[in-house]
Amino acid sequence: MGTDRWAYRSRLRAIDPLAKLWLTLGALVVCLGCGSAGVGLATLALLSAYSVVLGGQPVKTVVKCLLIPLAFLLAGSVTLVLRPLGEGAALWAVSLPVLGRWGVSVESLALAGTVLCRAMGAAACLFFLALNTPVCDLTAALGRLHAPALLVELMELIYRFLFVLSGEAGRIHTAQAARLGYGTWRRSITSLGELLSVLFVRALRRGERVYAALESRYYTGSLATVAGQYEKGTWLYGLLLATAAVQIFIWTLERGGLSWMLWR
Amino acid sequence: MDALEVKDLTYTYEDGTRALDGLSLTARAGEVTGILGANGAGKSTLFLTLNGVLTPASGAVFLGGKPVSWRRKDLPELRRRVGIVFQDPDDQLFSADVYRDVSFGAVNLGLPEEEVRRRVDAALERTGAAAFARKPTHALSYGQKKRAAIAGVLVMEPEVLILDEPTAGLDPEGVEEMVDLLAELGKDGARTILLATHDMDLVARCCHRVCLLERGRTVWQGTPGDLFRQQGLLEEHHLRLPPLARLMAALAEEGYPADPGAATVEEAARILTALLGKGGTT
Repeated sequence: MGTDRWAYRSRLRAIDPLAKLWLTLGALVVCLGCGSAGVGLATLALLSAYSVVLGGQPVKTVVKCLLIPLAFLLAGSVTLVLRPLGEGAALWAVSLPVLGRWGVSVESLALAGTVLCRAMGAAACLFFLALNTPVCDLTAALGRLHAPALLVELMELIYRFLFVLSGEAGRIHTAQAARLGYGTWRRSITSLGELLSVLFVRALRRGERVYAALESRYYTGSLATVAGQYEKGTWLYGLLLATAAVQIFIWTLERGGLSWMLWR
Repeated sequence: MDALEVKDLTYTYEDGTRALDGLSLTARAGEVTGILGANGAGKSTLFLTLNGVLTPASGAVFLGGKPVSWRRKDLPELRRRVGIVFQDPDDQLFSADVYRDVSFGAVNLGLPEEEVRRRVDAALERTGAAAFARKPTHALSYGQKKRAAIAGVLVMEPEVLILDEPTAGLDPEGVEEMVDLLAELGKDGARTILLATHDMDLVARCCHRVCLLERGRTVWQGTPGDLFRQQGLLEEHHLRLPPLARLMAALAEEGYPADPGAATVEEAARILTALLGKGGTT
């Protein structure tokens, strides 16, 4: 389901999820903190490259993933590009009744560009995590970081039983469809309602059976388990530092460090 | 000595259903005891009672000759000694990660981490689940899920292992693998296995003894061979003979010296070669 099936094939799968989580968070924080287009693009390039080169994910997969937030961001940046201008200089402007003068200025383009690059950099960080860390490794890592056990356990149970319930819903749907349950629009609505009510009852029953099964293995209110052994992945922390160095170097360049260095 | 003895166990559900009505049975260490009975005969209730999830209204259970207590403080001990593998592995596997699911019972016993890992590795190896331990639970086949579920109970190293319809829903290859696994699990010699099933062929191949339940009571207990020889009993309880036992019964009806108790391929082959006059006396 989603990015998880890629995560299981990742070459970084066996590495401690904490190392991957810190690399992601480090790059993410620096990318957002610097607030520059250049750092955003650099983060986008670096973290996507990590997914491809280190994680062994196909370029096509990474690009496809990144296109999803890009579509939203492009739609969202329209409101940043097109703004009320007042008397300011404009590349293109139009006077509207009531609303006044609206248009595109150099500043608004620059702002939208920065926001877009930053956001895409952040998205690349999160996709690096999502494409290389299966959900259950991630929740285990959260548990080790002392996230509230209730939250982590709920996430794990929801994730596991999502597949069980969706499988069940699929089977009910097939059984209904095989008897023309979705033949007409009216039938479809009725069938869908029945599906949901049956699914609810089955989920309730399943819950009771799962609880009995947990109890039989001496469940005492905690779903504590031991995860398989991971590779330490110490080199990822080095990579984290190197990534941050590159990000900050580009930030200083963009902040006029370039002219400063040339002048020296 | 009987490793497990159940005496006059009764249990009534809140809605008034009397699921166990004075049930008694015995099972020996190192043997597989088949539990037969129609749906609703009380199999599941019996298993949950043996493991301490349900507390019986009356009756007693003896494990290794000592009476079992259902008091709260004794439950960990009971659940460690009696393990249940549920029929639907999706009821039992609560984690999306096979390794972590298998470790659950061992962690609950309060064992140190190295011991948990040793047991998890051993259980995964034993059930053949090691091959897919790094896969997510939802990507496993039904048979693989069953193996993972068995491994999750084996880590607690129970003296009594209860398997609720281990072959239900498996394809023929899966059934064969499960039969091999059952034989492997029985090798210890010390473990008592209770096996609930509707598959009479499985009874013939795997069980040393059989216990027939009806409406919360044991109506018959003995060896599979004895069961297959009792035509009347089988008919009364709507049980079908395994195919080879049926063949033997048909031959016996024709007046040949064939025994319907011989329900496995090996036994039947021996009788038939004897009948055909090769390598045996006629």
